[in-house]
Amino acid sequence: MRLLIIEDDKNVASFVSKGLQQAGYMVDIADNGKDGLFLATTETYDVIIADRMLPGVDGLTIIRTLRASDITIPVIILSALGEVDDRVDGLKSGGDDYLAKPFAFSELHARVEALTRRQRDSRGAESSVLEIGDLRMDLLRRQVERAGRKIELQPKEFELLEFLMRHGGQVVTRTMLLEGVWRYHFDPQTNVIDVHISRLRAKIDKGFEQPLLHTVRGAGYRLETGDVNLSSDPA
Amino acid sequence: MALDTVNVRLLLRTSTFQLSVRYMLLFTISVLVLFGILYWSTVGSLYREINATIEAEISGLAEQYERQGLSGLIDVVAKRVQRKQDERSIYLFADSSLRLLAGNMDHWPQDLLATGRWFEFNKATANGGTVPVRAKVLSVGRNLRLLVGREIHELAELKRVFKRAAILGIGAVLLVAFTGGLFISIAAERRVSMINRTARQIIEGDLSQRIPLIGSRDEYDSLAININAMLDQIEALLSGIRHVGDSIAHDLKTPLTRLRNKLEELSVDGSRDGTQQIGLNKCIEESDRLLATFNALLRIARIESGAYRSAFRTIDLAEIARDAFDLYQPTAEEKQITLACHCDYTERLFGDRELLAQAIMNLLDNSIKYVPVGGHVELAIQSESDRVKLTVADSGPGIPEDEITNVERRFVRLDQARSESGNGLGLTLVRAVVEQHRGRMIVENTDPGLRVSLELPRSTLGAQ
Repeated sequence: MRLLIIEDDKNVASFVSKGLQQAGYMVDIADNGKDGLFLATTETYDVIIADRMLPGVDGLTIIRTLRASDITIPVIILSALGEVDDRVDGLKSGGDDYLAKPFAFSELHARVEALTRRQRDSRGAESSVLEIGDLRMDLLRRQVERAGRKIELQPKEFELLEFLMRHGGQVVTRTMLLEGVWRYHFDPQTNVIDVHISRLRAKIDKGFEQPLLHTVRGAGYRLETGDVNLSSDPA
Repeated sequence: MALDTVNVRLLLRTSTFQLSVRYMLLFTISVLVLFGILYWSTVGSLYREINATIEAEISGLAEQYERQGLSGLIDVVAKRVQRKQDERSIYLFADSSLRLLAGNMDHWPQDLLATGRWFEFNKATANGGTVPVRAKVLSVGRNLRLLVGREIHELAELKRVFKRAAILGIGAVLLVAFTGGLFISIAAERRVSMINRTARQIIEGDLSQRIPLIGSRDEYDSLAININAMLDQIEALLSGIRHVGDSIAHDLKTPLTRLRNKLEELSVDGSRDGTQQIGLNKCIEESDRLLATFNALLRIARIESGAYRSAFRTIDLAEIARDAFDLYQPTAEEKQITLACHCDYTERLFGDRELLAQAIMNLLDNSIKYVPVGGHVELAIQSESDRVKLTVADSGPGIPEDEITNVERRFVRLDQARSESGNGLGLTLVRAVVEQHRGRMIVENTDPGLRVSLELPRSTLGAQ
């Protein structure tokens, strides 16, 4: 996975690139809009992280230029403004996600993961069935079963699980859940989402040996099979 | 603005109208002076003429008396009465008991005895009517009286006409001046209310409003130009302050975020033993809480600046309430609190979905936080004619009466709230949101319990 960071603030750029490199990404950095646009149009990246305010060419112009030349690399806009109207501006210009500065690294990481995954998924055909381990979700019949046993979910629980399954194996933050499931863009009262997750966990993990829904401390949640990761904290 | 939409009572209080009333008085006085001069030079001069004629006759008769004595005077009077077919002249000569000695009236007019003064009385005519007469009495010899007068029919008529003209004229002047004053006041009031309307919108937080110019280059236009320039200046200063505020908050938020990320890095690296790891996790939680408080403060400041108003659209409050209910239902259940929602019908409002959702969620959050286990919280929407009322009522401990006024004020947190988890800015944000929707927040104790009501006008500037 190769990423491009277009950011003039050296601190932010190095902190983000260091974190992402540790997470296994290859990272290029451009410290102004012109270089950023040049790299974005000549090299191939999986995700671009662009600051909105840049010397030379600003972030939104970069995205518009890319989109105008049919380059569909997903872009995360970073901005110090971080308000709804600015978010709308950013997404209208063709950005795929929007993150207000300052942000927790885990939040950015989760969103980068979500976008690289979306990139991969969009290449394949949209499936009507989602599967993680022995957990199976039928989107058409709106049914969920685990190891062949049917699980009854409330409509919101279904949406929540669907979001987690679509981001299977990735960290999903509480903010992403509030945005993706409830369509609200403000800081959630953290434990509200937690309670929903613990209810969902009780339905899908209770009575099974292998837990699927993990809490990632300080970041969010991850739905995945396999061995418990060091950073994970199975409940 | 038509007359009927203007509050007439307010209009009568305007300084323009007061000024026009003063002009009206001045006008009336000048008209009165004009009429006075006209009167003096027409009716007055006729009077003077008549007076002169009568004086001349009297002095002529007095001379006759001196020359020819009483009998001579009677003779002359009788002759004059006889000779002059002209009935306009009146002569009466009487003794001390007012018995007529000569003259062309059949009796002495009552009460006219004083000499040397002008009298006017009505003389009966042959055909049953009366004729006005102006006269003077002369004392002759011992207790004899001579009255000389003239009929002043035309003069009286002229006076009457004059009086009528004066009344009509002044009436007309008053009418014209009043309606003129009213219309001038309306025109002035319209300009002033334009300025007032803009001022009100600015007070409500919409600093982008400016007073429209008419282009007449009158004093109102130049006032508007100056006020607009002043507003530009204020707006520039305010955005400067906000910029400073934003950058302070931003400056504090950035190192805090860096700190948090450093802690996260350390935590993830996994080389620490149990107690160190727990300590690190606590630090991360603590910095998250600090960041949340900063975000809440910044968001409240942003809401209060009116920045969201431009994004207002028609939304369904009931749907938002149901969303919030869904979101909090599990939390309430976990604490064994019964959470009920009576918001079945669509309630359209002009507002911001995110802000209203956050406000409702803050109220639910507060209630669930303070209601003891086994209690209940009720979210309800009531439809009223011009507004929608959303209430969150709980069975919690309520707020001490002396603190209720505090909660109504901005930026004041209750001691109780401060000691609990959360940043204590919940109700401040709710208040800010409600104010942006031109609504009202009411906090009341229901013994037991607390009820917070949000009254939101149905069309919050929907017509804008």
